[in-house]
Amino acid sequence: MDTSSPSAFVNGALLRRYIGQKVRTVIQVIGSDTGSVIGKSTDDLQIVVRGPSTTPPLTTYLEVIGIAESDNSIRAETWTNFGNTFDPQNYNELCKLASGEFKHLFI
Amino acid sequence: MFSSSQFEPNSAFSGGGFMSSQPSQAYESSSSTAKNREFQGLVPVTVKQITECFQSGSEKSGLVINGISLTNVSLVGLVCDKDGSKVTEVRFTLDDGTGRIDCKRWVNESFDAREMESVRDGTYVRLNGHLKTFQGKTQLLVFSVRPIRDFNEVTFHYIECIHFYSQNSESQGQQAGDVTQSVNTTFQGGSNTNQAAPLNPVMSSQNDGNGRKNLDDMILDYLKQPACTARQQGIHIDEIAQQLKIPKNKLEGVIQSLEGDGLIYSTIDEYHFKHVEL
Repeated sequence: MDTSSPSAFVNGALLRRYIGQKVRTVIQVIGSDTGSVIGKSTDDLQIVVRGPSTTPPLTTYLEVIGIAESDNSIRAETWTNFGNTFDPQNYNELCKLASGEFKHLFI
Repeated sequence: MFSSSQFEPNSAFSGGGFMSSQPSQAYESSSSTAKNREFQGLVPVTVKQITECFQSGSEKSGLVINGISLTNVSLVGLVCDKDGSKVTEVRFTLDDGTGRIDCKRWVNESFDAREMESVRDGTYVRLNGHLKTFQGKTQLLVFSVRPIRDFNEVTFHYIECIHFYSQNSESQGQQAGDVTQSVNTTFQGGSNTNQAAPLNPVMSSQNDGNGRKNLDDMILDYLKQPACTARQQGIHIDEIAQQLKIPKNKLEGVIQSLEGDGLIYSTIDEYHFKHVEL
C-alpha cells in the first residue's frame, strides 16, 4: 500500500498550482488531433492534453491523469472516457474542496 | 441512487446507527477508547485516509478513523496489476488517485468469477471490502466489485468521503462552522449549524431544541468521569459551567430535568451534583 504518487483534483484554474506534479481532471472534449486533445475544463477554461499517439474513440467527457506541463496543458499518462452524461459542476466543486480544506484526505 | 445499494440499513445517510449516538468526545483524548461506538456499516474512504489511520498506530482493535472503528469500507478507483492466475483468488491493486492499496478477492462461486472477469486493468470500479492488517501490511479483502458505468459515481464517492469525514469531525468537537458551510455548496444535508437538522447537531448551544439534548450528554459525560465520581461532595454547578464553557443559566434547566429523570442527584447542597451510579 503506498501513497507515493497521488494525483490532485484540478480544474482549469487550479492546474497552475500543480505544474510539474501529477494531476487529474475531467475535460469536455472540443477537438482532437494526432497525439493531443483540446478540451474545456469544468470551469470553462481551455486545456490541451498531450497523450499517446493513438487516440481511441472519445466520449464527450474525458478524465485525464498525468503531469501538468503548464497552466493549460497536461501530459497524460492515463485517460478514461467518462461518457456523455457527466456533471461538470459537481466535479468542479469537488476540485475546490479537494484542493482546499479537505486536501489532507487526498494528497 | 448510488448510496442505497451500497449501504447497510444503519448507514450514514439514514441517520441511524452512529450519527445520533455519537457522544460528545470532547473529554476523550484519544479517539479509540470505550466511547468508540461499534459501527458496522460501510464507510466511504480514500486510500490516503486508510494509510493515515494505519500510521497513527492504533494498537487497539482494528483501524480507527475519526473515532469510528474501520472494518468495512467502500472505495472507488482504477484496477491495476490484476493477477488472476490462481483459481480461488484474484489479486489486484486499486489506485484511487490518493494512493494504492492491495486487494484480494476470493473466488468460490461462478458468480464471483464472472464478476471478476469483467474487471480489467484500467477499469474504474466500486469496491466494497473488509480492511485487514497482515504482517504490518494493510490489505483489502474485497467482497464486492462492480465496474462503474456512470462516472458521476466517481465524483459522488469523493464527495461522500468528504461528507462522512466532516460529519465525524464535527462530533469530535472540532470547528464545525466552516466545514459544513462549504460542504453545503455541493450537496444538501449534513449541515448542522443553521438548520435544526435531524442529523447530528453537535455542541451547539445556540440551537436550543437540539442543543438541550447534547447538553444532557455533556453534563453526564463530565460527571461520569472517574475524577468527578471520586469526589464525595459532588461537583458544583459553577464548575460544570466553567468546564463545559456553557453559561450557568442554560445548565440549570437541564440539570433539573436530569435530576428529575434520576440520572444525577444533589449532594451536600442544591448546587452540588453527582452522577447516579447503578
